[in-house]
Amino acid sequence: MNTFEGCPGSKMQDLRKKEETKGDESGKRESQLGQWPIQLHLVSPMAPYYQKRDVLLSADCVAYTVGDFHKDYLKGKSIAIACPKLDEGQDVYVEKIKSLIDDAKINTLTVMTMQVPCCAGLVAIARQALESAKRKIPIKSIVVSLQGDILSEDWV
Amino acid sequence: MEEYLNKGIKDVISRFPKVADILNEYNIGCVPCSVGSCLLKDIVQIHNLSSEDEEALMTKIAKVIYPDRGIKMPKIQRKTQPKSREIKYSPPIKKLVDEHALIKKWLVLIPAVINDLNIETEDGRKLIYDGVYFIRSYADKFHHAKEEDILFKYFDENLDIIKSMHEDHETGRGHVKAIIEALERKDKKALIEHLNGYKELLMGHIKKEDDILYPWMDRGLSLQQVGELFSKFNEAEEKIGKEVVERCERFVKGAEEKLLKKQKEEEKT
Repeated sequence: MNTFEGCPGSKMQDLRKKEETKGDESGKRESQLGQWPIQLHLVSPMAPYYQKRDVLLSADCVAYTVGDFHKDYLKGKSIAIACPKLDEGQDVYVEKIKSLIDDAKINTLTVMTMQVPCCAGLVAIARQALESAKRKIPIKSIVVSLQGDILSEDWV
Repeated sequence: MEEYLNKGIKDVISRFPKVADILNEYNIGCVPCSVGSCLLKDIVQIHNLSSEDEEALMTKIAKVIYPDRGIKMPKIQRKTQPKSREIKYSPPIKKLVDEHALIKKWLVLIPAVINDLNIETEDGRKLIYDGVYFIRSYADKFHHAKEEDILFKYFDENLDIIKSMHEDHETGRGHVKAIIEALERKDKKALIEHLNGYKELLMGHIKKEDDILYPWMDRGLSLQQVGELFSKFNEAEEKIGKEVVERCERFVKGAEEKLLKKQKEEEKT
């Protein structure tokens, strides 16, 4: 089934489960999203929902991978999403995150990425922004496996 | 059994001294603690024992308390579950741990300071006065104030573990006051006694904080609180002034160089 060799980020993998998962399917979860837009090129650091908040910077694929993304990671935070592999104009990303730190005076930044190597670029962008910012804030990096498990959770 | 889980550890140890050995076996240093009123049930949570260690510890304690009955201690209900025994400090707590590193650098020099003590000369007295300035400005006004005025406020200050830390800070202040008084009286014996007393107290205090208190606090802090603490610590650093911190860092570096150089010269002769 693994037809593509090379880049682990685009290598084909069949993650379908052999048996149906027996999770609780009853009830309905509300979305924890409290803003629009969410794409990093589209958001403004001056938006009220970023001011002094805990912000989640998530790689695009993360929300599709982590089953309880809204409940466990988005709840109580403002968000921005980006893809460090495919997005263009990533120097703008550095400036935007820097502005979130210095101008929006965000409280913390949590960077969620996939385990594939190219995704680490998002942490590098956040780190670069922090280094160039006047303010210093805690940054946490959470790495997610292709199966949606949390592989690591570390302060940068 | 519930009765003993809700008893202060000092009471349990005084009734059943063998419990002290069991706690030591798991690196739980309640025996020399000056307060010792933490409840037995809280100790498991504060020390973040694994489920296996908790079960083994509790079985051993139950055997000491009820040697003739096969009573098992109930499992302690924890607010947070242990993730791993590896310590990963959050950024604000890491700042405090880093400050401990500088304080410890001065503490380990104290035996050499005592060895070289000469209170009759200006230079000899200056080293002690500078050391006291470092303790008062950096260890106390800067570091301990961050704990007392900011960090501890995020927790229940009536908890014995926090009361015990406050008590250590006060005892430390007493030693520093006594160091100055002894220096002014030119009482070398008292000066040595209080320099040693401060060193022993702070070494133990730092170990308790780095290994037990801070990891326990970190497990209880939310992401939002971590951000707030970081920002408040930054404000405290700005308030005391960069130059005071730099002066303290320079003092330790200078004292290290001076005393180590002297030590090497003595070794040669």
